[in-house]
Amino acid sequence: MISTSSPNKRSVAGFRTKLLAAMMLVVSGLTALGLYFAQRNVVANTGRDLQQKFQAELSWLHKVQELRHAALAERCRALASKPRIHAALEDNALDLLYPTAKDELRDLMEGEEPTPAATANSLHARFYRFLDSNGAVLSPPNPRDVGELNSETERQLALNKLSEAQQIGYVRENLGPANEIIHEVVAVPIFSTETGDVISALVVGFKPFELGAKPESAGMKSGIWVNGQLHLPSLQKPAQDALAGQVRDAVTKGDRAQNNFIVSINGTPHLLFYKRLNPNSLFPTAYEICLYPLAGRIAQLHRLRWQIGGAGVLLFLGGLVASNFVAVRFSKPVEQLAVNSEKDRVQRKRAEAALASTSEKLKRSTRYSADASHQLKSPVTILRIGLETLLAREDFKPEVYEELSSLIHQTHRLAGVIDDLLLLSRMEAGHLEIASESVNLSQLINEWLDDLSGVPDSADMKIEKDFPMDLNVVGEKRYTSLIVQNLLENARKYNYPGGRIRVSARQNAAYVLLTIGNTGRRIPPDAEPHIFERFRRSGTVSGISGHGLGLNLARELARLHGGDIRLACSENDWTEFEVCFPIAQPAPD
Amino acid sequence: MGWRGLISVNVLFLIPVPVFADAVIEGHVELPKTHAAPVMAKRYEIVTRGGVLSTQPPLAVVYLDGSFARPASPSTKQVAQKDLTFVPSLLPVQVGTRVEFPNLDDTYHSIFSYSPAKRFDLGRYRPEERPIPSEVFDRPGLVTLRCDIHEHMRGLILVLDTPYFIMTNAEGQFRLTGLPAGHFTLKAWVDSKTTREQSVELKNGNMLRVNFP
Repeated sequence: MISTSSPNKRSVAGFRTKLLAAMMLVVSGLTALGLYFAQRNVVANTGRDLQQKFQAELSWLHKVQELRHAALAERCRALASKPRIHAALEDNALDLLYPTAKDELRDLMEGEEPTPAATANSLHARFYRFLDSNGAVLSPPNPRDVGELNSETERQLALNKLSEAQQIGYVRENLGPANEIIHEVVAVPIFSTETGDVISALVVGFKPFELGAKPESAGMKSGIWVNGQLHLPSLQKPAQDALAGQVRDAVTKGDRAQNNFIVSINGTPHLLFYKRLNPNSLFPTAYEICLYPLAGRIAQLHRLRWQIGGAGVLLFLGGLVASNFVAVRFSKPVEQLAVNSEKDRVQRKRAEAALASTSEKLKRSTRYSADASHQLKSPVTILRIGLETLLAREDFKPEVYEELSSLIHQTHRLAGVIDDLLLLSRMEAGHLEIASESVNLSQLINEWLDDLSGVPDSADMKIEKDFPMDLNVVGEKRYTSLIVQNLLENARKYNYPGGRIRVSARQNAAYVLLTIGNTGRRIPPDAEPHIFERFRRSGTVSGISGHGLGLNLARELARLHGGDIRLACSENDWTEFEVCFPIAQPAPD
Repeated sequence: MGWRGLISVNVLFLIPVPVFADAVIEGHVELPKTHAAPVMAKRYEIVTRGGVLSTQPPLAVVYLDGSFARPASPSTKQVAQKDLTFVPSLLPVQVGTRVEFPNLDDTYHSIFSYSPAKRFDLGRYRPEERPIPSEVFDRPGLVTLRCDIHEHMRGLILVLDTPYFIMTNAEGQFRLTGLPAGHFTLKAWVDSKTTREQSVELKNGNMLRVNFP
């Protein structure tokens, strides 16, 4: 419908594409971000999860250790206060410690080794030894009573010096080929009740607390790193050897109390945690080693990654559809706007063109009217002056003078018509400007009635006046006067000799209503609607001068003044016109 | 029996000493200062300060160190348990002396020693236990007596390889009589870690004055 619509459509489509692209970018960005964070979260969670498990196991281990230590410390305090042990310690009779303590510590060695689950509540020891004041191991007279150890292992129990703090250590005992065990040993100081010094120490060997003994730790392997060697019996020897190198690197180079890293065992990834078991101990530093298989976790991670990826793709597609939908929705009003604005633009252009053309026509017509008036008035004036010159001569026959007078009268009429036409054309061109002054209508009517009474054929005409003397209306006196003149002129012209003219006026809040009625033949009803048209005269009227412009001009002028003229009535012998003028304050005299 | 009995045993013991042995040493041992109030009841106890055993209030044992013949018939002395303490708390004896440990309380006692000079364990016994549990102290040295039942109880037996010894009084004064002539070392045992000594030259009938600062 609009010739410029295709570039418009293209720009709207461009807008839609851009909007879609921007929204897709946002959706893609969000999806990627979601994927990234979800995966990072999963990885972090997995790590944290295992870390927490490891720490929980370790805290369990620490709890067991604390219980043991507390029990042993109490035991040693009690031992030291026993007179015989006290005597053995104080009186340099350490050789008597074992026989003396045998009864006191009998319960440590009694019974079977507890199950892993019962370890925490058990103080069952594998062996115990006393250290002398230099930290050397006091050999028991009867090793069977205090738990047998090979001499190599027993030597590991010695300390460089005695400490006032408990010491935790881990020692290995080789019981034969491919059969080594780890003992967790606790060295508890024994204080002299007399000097307060540490005079001995009780070293008790326990089965190490096994991490991963709980059912929820399935798949987890734990071991101990001590003296540069790894003890992880649940692992095959070659795998253990391979792992030992990595652990050695971590604990010697890293020198951290705890850490974790991923190792590969027999081709499957494991997360390895290590933590120093006996910080600040006089015994060699030992580390707890925990291995968590990651296969399940990695599978879970993969699964999750797929799920997140799938969700991302769905989100992406959903976003695509949604963004497309939104883009279309968004672009519709824009498109409509573009179309509308184009329509508006075309309409405006048309209107402007029409306006310009109308204006041009108007100008042309005004110019034409003005030119025509001017061109007409000049020969009429020349004609009149010529006729008046002829009339001034005295050598014509009297009937010539009569003819000349009639011709001069016709030139006056013609000039009147031209004046009216000029005024009308100015009015229609919008060039007529009406001054807004106060005009004394009463005075104006009286002047015109005086003039009227001077006209020869109206000498016997009866004139009735019924209006106050101070009627003031808004307008320009010249044109107001013309209106009144035209109406009075008509009242005179369409009257009959001895007839009657009645002029009355009254005012309300806004208007002055002037009514001019006259006797005479009525206006035929079928002519009534046309009496204000230009060059329209009642065809039934003959012998009455006029050119059919008076009423039209009067009404146009009245309307220009903010008033109007209408035919109030036209009956058998009475025709009445009514004019309304906007009211004004009386003009200052 | 009390002090009187013990002294009389001592007097009897001194009779076989050869008549030429009549040198005398008098003197004073500077005893550690104590802040404790004077003990009116003459009740002494064994205390440990920093692993050092001594009597409270302080007492010293002064003895003539040397190589002397052991008596043919060993003497017998007593350390009783009374009011949950050893009485006397410190007893110097010559090597070979038998010491009886009568229980004068209404409860069990279980006297033992892990001291290198003498390890023994009398086991639990009641006051009416007969014969009175006893041990022969045949090696010189300090023996710490303990009771397995009353862990606070401490007693000391100073086993000396000499018949010439005496305990100072509370002021640290002593007088050793009937000593043989010759060159000897006079020693003053003050606590388990402190024994002072001085060389003395004894002549018959002479009286020597020796002070341990």
